[in-house]
Amino acid sequence: MQLKNVIDSPCGLRYMLDQLDLQSGFARRWLLDSSMMTDAEYIRESYGVLRCFTDFIEREDKTYIDTLQFRLQGLKDIRTTINNLSQKSILDDIELFEVKHLAILATDVNRLLQEHGMEGVVSIPALDEVISILDPDGMKIASFYIYDSYCAQLKDLRAAMRQHPDQQDDLMLQASELEEGVRRDLSQQLHPFATAIEQAQIALARIDVNLAKALQMRQMGLTFPEVSEDGTCRYQDMFHPQVKAALAVHGRDFQPVNIGFGLLPTLITGANMGGKTVVLKTLTLCQLLFQFGFGIPAAQARIAVKEEIYFCIGDEQSVEKGLSSFAAEMKNIDAVIKASRENKKILALIDEPARTTNPTEGAALVSALLKVLAGRDMSLVMTTHYDIEPGDARCLRVKGFENGSMDYQLVEVQDGEVPHEALNIAQSLGIDSEWIDMARKQLNAAAMPPMVKKDKH
Amino acid sequence: MLPFINDILRYDSLSIVGLEKNTGKTETLKYVLDRLPVHTKRIAVTSIGIDGETTDQVTRTQKPEIVLREGMYFGTSETHYRQRRLVSEVIDVSDVTTSLGRVVTARAVTGGKILLSGPSSGSGLKHWMSEMQRYDIDLVVIDGALSRMSLASPAVSQSMILATGAAYSVNMNTLVSKTAHVVDLINLELTDDENIAMLMPIESGVWFIDKDRQLHGLDAISSLSKDFHFQGMDCCETLYVSGALVDGFLEKVRMNKNLKQTELVVRDFTKIFVSPQQFRLFIKGGGRIRVLQKSKLIAVTVNPTSPSGYVLDSDTLCNRLSEAIGLPVYDLLKN
Repeated sequence: MQLKNVIDSPCGLRYMLDQLDLQSGFARRWLLDSSMMTDAEYIRESYGVLRCFTDFIEREDKTYIDTLQFRLQGLKDIRTTINNLSQKSILDDIELFEVKHLAILATDVNRLLQEHGMEGVVSIPALDEVISILDPDGMKIASFYIYDSYCAQLKDLRAAMRQHPDQQDDLMLQASELEEGVRRDLSQQLHPFATAIEQAQIALARIDVNLAKALQMRQMGLTFPEVSEDGTCRYQDMFHPQVKAALAVHGRDFQPVNIGFGLLPTLITGANMGGKTVVLKTLTLCQLLFQFGFGIPAAQARIAVKEEIYFCIGDEQSVEKGLSSFAAEMKNIDAVIKASRENKKILALIDEPARTTNPTEGAALVSALLKVLAGRDMSLVMTTHYDIEPGDARCLRVKGFENGSMDYQLVEVQDGEVPHEALNIAQSLGIDSEWIDMARKQLNAAAMPPMVKKDKH
Repeated sequence: MLPFINDILRYDSLSIVGLEKNTGKTETLKYVLDRLPVHTKRIAVTSIGIDGETTDQVTRTQKPEIVLREGMYFGTSETHYRQRRLVSEVIDVSDVTTSLGRVVTARAVTGGKILLSGPSSGSGLKHWMSEMQRYDIDLVVIDGALSRMSLASPAVSQSMILATGAAYSVNMNTLVSKTAHVVDLINLELTDDENIAMLMPIESGVWFIDKDRQLHGLDAISSLSKDFHFQGMDCCETLYVSGALVDGFLEKVRMNKNLKQTELVVRDFTKIFVSPQQFRLFIKGGGRIRVLQKSKLIAVTVNPTSPSGYVLDSDTLCNRLSEAIGLPVYDLLKN
């Protein structure tokens, strides 16, 4: 799975990419095309490289980092040219310029990094030979044409052109044949370097991406995660950067959350507006950020590698597919159940399943889902408003509405009993009292079953 | 030095604009490029997009080639770069693509011929011009067609030369009055700096600024829509039309009593598509039109010969036009 396939996940991954200060369009494309890492060793290595960059931005001053970023702006997507080169095509002047430009850029960036203790962090193949092929006069300037020094005859023809502008067309024709011969020679000489040039282009993209990730970590206060080997995950002071930024606009703070879960299902209950959905969103976001090697929005994080990540948020309607919200949700959860049978390492985050149907059947569906998935080797975090028997599931509860304000912390509880705070919360929102009072009366009446029955008849 | 070359060198950028095909724009460009002091000044040349002359793309007739001199910088599309007939050094390839490929920036190592087709949008052109500062360019010359098809406006340049002629009209009176109308539009004054800062980033829609300097967007998609209404605009100080300004809209503004004191702002003169009559009525009624960007009109050149072969008297044309617009007018072919 590539980053571009999950970038629009409702967990808010796009925000993280939008906030990434990438210098080149090529680096962005390369990042979007990168695959999700599912190998713990690979993830560790990737964070090892990122750590070199965070150390680097801490110790170097801003002007130097600005210089590096400015240089990286010169990174262009020349994959077509590289492809032509490896196909043994004859490159034209524009393509030869692109190769030279990239080779000089790679050499410059490599030197800049080496001078500042970043030798070998991201290895850039040496392209000195490429430069000397395309820079016969040793000018070290990233411009290109078929220089006079490639061919003595060409030099004479050009001198003649300047002296006899009236014969220019004729001389130009002769010169262009010679030029084409030079291009053929140059392309042949460059052909063995096609792979190295391609690697250099990718190395520069990796540097751009890592530098941007490192700057993002500092700016948003993200952390390096520990890779968990036992399948459990634990976050301390986890936050959602986008929600945090949105709250900050209104002068409000995001209350960080502590949460941990393992291979047994975790059930989160809690009042409305208790931030349950945000918890699931953040967990999904963290898992994806982890497997694409970004900093994690928490004070501390220990995360297990998963092969598949499912985020089922209840209220998405697939209008294009002609599905109702209920059907869309059922299909999404169905995919989780099917995948769980395939013995894959899965993380499933399900927000209030079956919320849109009647409470009797809804509760039955949720309870059964919990039983079905509990036996599987997977991590499941689910929120619900239904009172259900938790079985083996761990139950977490949002602390909830206390003294007129919401406490978003999660506390472990022994049973899955759901809080009954909806009316209090609605009242605090200033919802019309005629409605809320009526609901309260109904509830009180319901506490006396015979009366209800009598009313119904 | 020949007329107006010195004037040109007082500015960083010049666009050469033809009012119609065969008004001698290419001759004017050639005249200017031949006479610029290439040994003491760094000159860069480009064109707006595919020159707006889309017929080139449709009929596949070649655009005239421009002769560049050794040392001149130029920007053209990849397609036209490959067809060049001069020796030149590639110094940059832009990320932005036009219909003819990316824009290649190069320096002429020998003199020779090139087809010009530069950035195709206003922001692309501006970006290209600012990039040229890296090479210490003293003057950017833009081959700037005046066309409704072109998205890039020649008004991004500091100065301008206008080419007109019998191809625009073979009737001298009509030619003089039509040209004078365009000159009036080119000479429209800039709005104040505060308005420019506020309105320049807006690319679409109709907007107004109230007396408390608050910016409001109007719900109409463009000033072209028939049922355009001015509602809730009693305290409108400045009315900004980001797209085309047309007769119908201008008339509605003129007839609206609430907008008597309002300053009407357009991006630049190329966005104004109103008839001379409607324009005069508006100005006479005390209306004010201002622009966000304008160029200093340096001179007007004429080609007295129409494509059909009809020839106007060059001296009479130059004198009458010069009188009408208060600027020097040259027939470059004659001189």
